[in-house]
Amino acid sequence: MRSPRESRLRAFAAKVRGFLRGRRHDGEFDDEVQEHLQLLAEKFVAQGMPREEAAAAARRQFGNPTLLREEHGELQTFLSLEALWRDLRYGVRMLGKSPGFVAVAVMTLALGIGANTAVFSLIDALLLRSLDVPAPRELVRISFGPPGNAGPLSSPMFDRLRERQSAFTDLFAWKNSPMVLTENGVARPITGAYGTGSAFPTLKLKPRLGRLLTWQDDEPSGISNGIAAVISEAFWLEHFGGDPGVLGQPITVDGAAATVVGVMPRSFNGITVDYAPQVVLPFAFDIALHGKASCRFRADCTWFFGMARLRPGVSLEQAKANLATLGADVLKEALPADYQRIDYLRNGTLSLAPGRAGNSPLGEIYGRELWTLQALVGLLMVICCTNLASLQLSRTLNRQHELVVRTALGAGRLRLVRQLVVESAILSITGAALGVVLSQWMSALLVRYIEQSDFPVFLDLRPNVTIFAATIALATLTVILTGALPALGLTRFDTEEMLRSGTQRTVGHKRHSLASRVLPVQVALSLLLASIALLFAVSTGKLLRIEPGFRVKGITFFGVDFGQRPEKGEARLDLYRKMLEALREAPGVEAASVVGVRALGEGEIDESAAPVEGNGPENKHLFENVVGPDYFATAGTKVLAGREFSNLDRFGATPVCVLNQAAANFFFPQQSALGKHIRSTETKAKRAICEIVGVVTDVKYLSLRQPAPPTIYYPYEQLPDFSWAGFITRSQNTSAAVAAFKNALHRFAADTPLLPPITMQRQLEDSIGKERLMAVLSLFFGGLALLLTSIGLYGLESQRVTQRNAEIGLRMALGAQRGDMLWFILREAATVFAMGVPIGLALTFGASHFVGSLLYEVSPLDPRIHLGAVATLLLAGFLASYMPARRATKADPMVALRYE
Amino acid sequence: MDMKKSEVLQGTLDLMILKTLHALGPLHGFGIARRIEQVSRDVLQLNEGTVYTSLLRLQQQGWIAAEWGTSENNRKAKFYSITKRGQKQLEVEAENWERISDVIGRVLRLEAEE
Repeated sequence: MRSPRESRLRAFAAKVRGFLRGRRHDGEFDDEVQEHLQLLAEKFVAQGMPREEAAAAARRQFGNPTLLREEHGELQTFLSLEALWRDLRYGVRMLGKSPGFVAVAVMTLALGIGANTAVFSLIDALLLRSLDVPAPRELVRISFGPPGNAGPLSSPMFDRLRERQSAFTDLFAWKNSPMVLTENGVARPITGAYGTGSAFPTLKLKPRLGRLLTWQDDEPSGISNGIAAVISEAFWLEHFGGDPGVLGQPITVDGAAATVVGVMPRSFNGITVDYAPQVVLPFAFDIALHGKASCRFRADCTWFFGMARLRPGVSLEQAKANLATLGADVLKEALPADYQRIDYLRNGTLSLAPGRAGNSPLGEIYGRELWTLQALVGLLMVICCTNLASLQLSRTLNRQHELVVRTALGAGRLRLVRQLVVESAILSITGAALGVVLSQWMSALLVRYIEQSDFPVFLDLRPNVTIFAATIALATLTVILTGALPALGLTRFDTEEMLRSGTQRTVGHKRHSLASRVLPVQVALSLLLASIALLFAVSTGKLLRIEPGFRVKGITFFGVDFGQRPEKGEARLDLYRKMLEALREAPGVEAASVVGVRALGEGEIDESAAPVEGNGPENKHLFENVVGPDYFATAGTKVLAGREFSNLDRFGATPVCVLNQAAANFFFPQQSALGKHIRSTETKAKRAICEIVGVVTDVKYLSLRQPAPPTIYYPYEQLPDFSWAGFITRSQNTSAAVAAFKNALHRFAADTPLLPPITMQRQLEDSIGKERLMAVLSLFFGGLALLLTSIGLYGLESQRVTQRNAEIGLRMALGAQRGDMLWFILREAATVFAMGVPIGLALTFGASHFVGSLLYEVSPLDPRIHLGAVATLLLAGFLASYMPARRATKADPMVALRYE
Repeated sequence: MDMKKSEVLQGTLDLMILKTLHALGPLHGFGIARRIEQVSRDVLQLNEGTVYTSLLRLQQQGWIAAEWGTSENNRKAKFYSITKRGQKQLEVEAENWERISDVIGRVLRLEAEE
């Protein structure tokens, strides 16, 4: 005898066959049924029945053909497309009936998925993605610096190491360097880079066109017949219209000529994540430009980024060991003679790190912040999911009656579950699609926060397919599980009993237990997010209120590079003077001066100095700045004693300088610094001794977070070789200053590229970009979490009130006071908070130590902030649950009772 | 209580169809329905559509085979016939059925005697 298992197997095999075949037998089956009906009708006619009645009778005797077809479909395959389509249509119709629910659910999903994808694609671009070169895992970064500091290499370090090492197939050095491209007499800034000849062979890159650079291109002897350059594909398309004839064409970069020999592949955007060079030149070009003064020959420039490719079979550890044995010898030969004097060189060592992802300065700056953000949006996703769960749950409970009716009409349990799953899928797919759109927008927003005003950020932000799929899968799973699981439970109900009672009151009290179990978690997470948001907001607020020591409003900086101008020495100073005069006379400009290092900008000059007279300590590392006459008045920095620089402080006059308060107090404590002298202890310093003519307030040059460095100011007119001082203006509006500067530049140095002007406001904002990013985004996410939790609570309370309508009516009819009833309803919300808040506080304290280091002068455990977060959460929660509660107690007891 | 027609017991329809095909040779669905109606003398209430579900089930088990042919009035029709495996299954099922009906009959009689 045949076993039941065998027969089940056969049925299954038939389903598989049917599934693979598709539904082409349907037509045949319909024919068969039609034929049967007709024969039956004919039989009835033959028995004497009128023709119209016969057809109806035949159908009666045959049964429901549609149901039969469905049954057949189910026997023949797993899930028919037709049934799916039907479920889909029905699902859309049902969802259309509760637009509020759909809107909230879809937005919740979209925000969760969008935020996660946006933050992660930034992390992916800045920190995770490999360079698009063959075998990127073999690449390593070679750095020099004191422990914990992975800085650039000097040329001799690179050359000595390259001669001696045995762990790598080759090494190369790379230096990103903004350049000036001159074309038909018009100069414009471009992104450029220098690479050693070994760079492209080591990266194993194939050219898009022509050839890439080789060692021959980088030999100083080989450059007599022109220097080779390669260009990026984007530059080639934009500049040469993708013309293959570009090979052999000359380009003028930084005032010197190079010949294009090839185009780099599109996938290669340099080795720095956010800097895509348009032109790459061999270091030989720098030698051609600067001769013996090029950093390529100097031991005191640590200036380029080192990379290498591991020999096949050599691990990173082995390479590290190899470097450890060589390092000391290499450094001994490579460091400048006076390295003992400089901390950085004295304590520096060579180190190796994985170089798969290249170099990411932005990633290093924002890494911690981005991962923190990712954690926050991850939590937000959890809240989104729990919210969806409780939303779905209450919706399903509210649909109980519909489900029961459908069961009574003959729908199977599986059928109902399938219906609910389909509805959930519609929701999640819509939400995910919207999430994709949102994530694009949010990524762009994030990049704008990260971008610095004077530095073009190139970021290749493509959504990471894996994480994207994972997020969507998570959301879909949540939706489906929460949509289908309750259905399974509900359909187990006694249909008849439910139908008879007619209302939803039979829903047991214990069956929204999932929602009430999920909500405390949501409350806890929201509290965590809210606390973190408040911490970041308070911290950023403090930073913004700091007295920086300079004016912010109306200040604009203009960088210039007169390095290519023919004027040198006194003529250069005269150029500055003429520019300055034109600026000061321009309408709308209140004041103007010259400045070397702008506050909170990237540059800094170090200087070591010692007092000539006075009792202070011997010498001190100083921050140096070079400024023009009336600089302090223009910048809004107060002169505390003495005077500021004037037009008379020129080359040839007595060398003068100005100290800030910190420096003055250091060198000349408890006495006036005016008239005293300072001697520079820098070996190569040309100005040995200067007279202090003024003391000014401290200015936060480096960052708002750090105290102002002791600073010394020199008048630029006493430094004729100083070629890169820029201009600073004070004006009512920025556009007046920009117009004035353009005019002046056009009049006196038309061929100098115009660099983008920078307002002090923007500079200040950039300098606390990280803090602002964290504050704005965490506030946004925290607010979102609060909102989602409130919606969840509102849903729970509404549902509870609907279910208890009769009970509430009865109690009120029996004389319960409104206040008592409110409490009766709010009790549940209170329980949720009583559980959620302590958990949330515990989580926050646990997390505080991770965010502590990102905060400025705010204790992560500050009770005021946490109290504030709890209060906000309680208020939101109270509002969310009070509304439905009030509605219930306002209801007429008689109406409520009548439903019984 | 009015004289309701008995519903066909689950699974018995399969047996009836197998036996019908065994006895009469290839038949189309309508023919099978007529034969069962005739044999049962209107005692059984049958949604004739369920015959087709049963036929499909039997086909999937490999007990019957289907073939397109032409009906008495020259129309295209699907003819079902019993397979070798189906005949074996019919023997087994028939024997089974008799055993069970025998047992049930005895039980019922027992009750009547008391």
